[in-house]
Amino acid sequence: MQRARIFLTGVGGQGTLTATTLLARTALDAGLPVTSGEIHGMAQRGGVVESTLLIGGYKSAVIAPGEADTLLGFELLETLRALPMLRRGGRVVGNAEALQPVGVCLGRECYPPLEAVLETARGYAAGVTMVPAISLAEKAGTAKAANMVLLGAAAACGALPFDLDALARSVEKYLKPKIVALNRKALELGAAAAQAGQAA
Amino acid sequence: MGKELLTAPAGETLLLLGNEAIARGALEGGVRFVTCYPGTPSSEVPDTFFRLSQGAPYYFEYSVNEKVALEVAGGATLAGLPSLVTMKHVGVNVAADPLMTLAYVSAPGGLVLLSADDPGCHSSQNEQDNRIYARLGGLPCFEPATAQECKDMARDALLLSRTLETPVMLRTTTRVNHVRGPVTLGAVPESIEEKPFVKNPPKYVPLPASARNMHVRLLDVLEKARQAAEDSPYNTERGQGEVGFVASGAARNYLSDVLADDGLEGTVRVLELGQASPLPEDRIAAFLAKCRTVVIVEELEPVLETEIRALAQKRGIAVTIVGKGENLPRRGEYATPNVRAAVRAALGRQTAPVETLSVPADLPKRPPNLCAGCPHRAAYYAVRQVYGDNAVYSSDIGCYTLGFLPPFKAADFLLCMGSSISTGAGFARASGKPVVAFIGDSTFFHSGITGLIDAVAYDHDLLVVILDNRTTAMTGHQPNPGVDTTIFGENPNPVDLLALIRACGIEPVKVNPLNHKAMVAALENLAGRHGPRVLVAEYPCPIHARRVGKAKKTPPARVAGDPAACLAVRDNLACPAFAMEGDVFTINAEQCDGCMYCVQLSADIKPGKKEA
Repeated sequence: MQRARIFLTGVGGQGTLTATTLLARTALDAGLPVTSGEIHGMAQRGGVVESTLLIGGYKSAVIAPGEADTLLGFELLETLRALPMLRRGGRVVGNAEALQPVGVCLGRECYPPLEAVLETARGYAAGVTMVPAISLAEKAGTAKAANMVLLGAAAACGALPFDLDALARSVEKYLKPKIVALNRKALELGAAAAQAGQAA
Repeated sequence: MGKELLTAPAGETLLLLGNEAIARGALEGGVRFVTCYPGTPSSEVPDTFFRLSQGAPYYFEYSVNEKVALEVAGGATLAGLPSLVTMKHVGVNVAADPLMTLAYVSAPGGLVLLSADDPGCHSSQNEQDNRIYARLGGLPCFEPATAQECKDMARDALLLSRTLETPVMLRTTTRVNHVRGPVTLGAVPESIEEKPFVKNPPKYVPLPASARNMHVRLLDVLEKARQAAEDSPYNTERGQGEVGFVASGAARNYLSDVLADDGLEGTVRVLELGQASPLPEDRIAAFLAKCRTVVIVEELEPVLETEIRALAQKRGIAVTIVGKGENLPRRGEYATPNVRAAVRAALGRQTAPVETLSVPADLPKRPPNLCAGCPHRAAYYAVRQVYGDNAVYSSDIGCYTLGFLPPFKAADFLLCMGSSISTGAGFARASGKPVVAFIGDSTFFHSGITGLIDAVAYDHDLLVVILDNRTTAMTGHQPNPGVDTTIFGENPNPVDLLALIRACGIEPVKVNPLNHKAMVAALENLAGRHGPRVLVAEYPCPIHARRVGKAKKTPPARVAGDPAACLAVRDNLACPAFAMEGDVFTINAEQCDGCMYCVQLSADIKPGKKEA
């Protein structure tokens, strides 16, 4: 069976951990053994949130630099920061949109452009897919669903060991009924954007 | 995770966080009494018990501090109830006094102490190794590595504790507390056998004469616990060959993954120890005898390494023992790369460097920040306005420690939970400089109050600012003795913080920190005085207020005048709702909490309209 190490990174409040749990449940429902990990605590309050999902029988939930098969980046700068986690030939699926850290807002630091991610990963990653997750989520109904946009995109470009339908079933099964339709829409918009990006 | 953690039947598999699994395991062990002080990475254990507590078969409390938590649960186990006490590693320092005698006095109902250690300092001020506390205090120790083991070991630790009538430590690390994996459940017993207290002072009162006998009894108990470890299903051996590995805790996972990834499984010997204290000597000696070289793989201190080296000497076993060194350091977390290097070194192989992408070193940092609308931001700004760099700032543990960062730079030193007043007092006495000590409401109740009593008794010259946000915000909004509302409703008996300070002999000044003028006026007044002074900056944490349904809905602030004129406010407050669109200052309406503090500092920022 295919083993996969998936590294997820984002900013506190983006729903990175909700997305991680949803992926873990989807994998379990597909009969795949799962170990997942997260770092809490100081990661809240707008700091970086990192989590991991290891499918296929790994025991440790830690992913070391150079080990990730897939990098899911919920925020552009954090995607760039986490690129050292990727193994050669791994995949990157990321949000092309930014959340400014305080140093950037204060004009002390410069936010890197989207090209920085593409340039760095080029020739090393097997594929880099960047989608405007926040804008698409707003289109689905709320910016909060940007996490589902990204999962939709990841499924569409084959970065996950299960397909979009499996994710949609998990959204039905595990999210509150009130927000299911919106999150399914977000998944679909993410998938469509990823496919359009690959076609282009 | 809803109520199913309490109600799901045996045989069902749930996807659980390690900490949730510990809660379920304790329930399967028949737990009836749970106390704690919240602390990352332990917090979700008590939070789970708290969430399930209404109508549940156990008593639960967020105790005022870890020492009190252990003492209250100590009383419960003497009364015969299976008890669980949870805290982070540094919390055990607070509880160390009762802990050192608890094993003497015994735990008839059973008592498990969860110590959540933090290799790598993910959210802690040090990386002390509390396996040493288990040995110091005479507590058998379980060390889970997976979510399933978190559940199983919490149960078995409690059962062993009840059988031997001795306290047991469940020692986890951050990665184990926050692992998430499938957990197959066992049964939750509907009832437990009663163990009524029978008066027997020589057994339970450690006067010197009785304490000596208690120590004899404890050593006998530990011998029984060692025999249990010899037979423990959590200590497993596999593989063949002359090279062996002994691994404990999370390091077991890294070793397993390395052996599987590198195709070495079965070609080396592995002894995994999930129940290593007291040391299962016979089992380990038998393992050592089969090997030419043994590598001890454990995070942090060389605890097993030292014990196993001594064992080899005692039993006359000629084996090369490799422990802490270049690949396996005495600090930080382990991961597969360094364990791989250690495995390869033991096999006499080279390790190829791991290929990774490199990214610019100067990427913008994203430090954790006080939330938009956080009243602490306002308090820090006002204190800075009045004292600037003239005062020395004594800090404490909580969200407000983030005041360390610029622009506030309001933390010049910090020792531990509850230390800011006493350390600030000592610094003021020694230096003669003005000192402002910051402390949160929960932290003040935890152990800050004793510092205040000292400051009054010895007339220490400092201003104490109690940042009272009506909750324990940093660890996840747990109630503390002073809160008026919890997620379950009104607190019937809130402790009156102001009256408590008055009882210490100080008339406190209470101000809403989001009222800038009032705050500065109060601070200027207090800055001109001598001796111990207390300002209570009280305003609820906005996240907590939202959760308990007490938040006032206020529209976000907006830039109404010249954005360039707002830049000073931006630089002074560094609120996460502030953003730059190109070169133009703006306020992100999604992020803004509507606290209206920035509105008070700039004529160019105005309250937003209800719906534009």
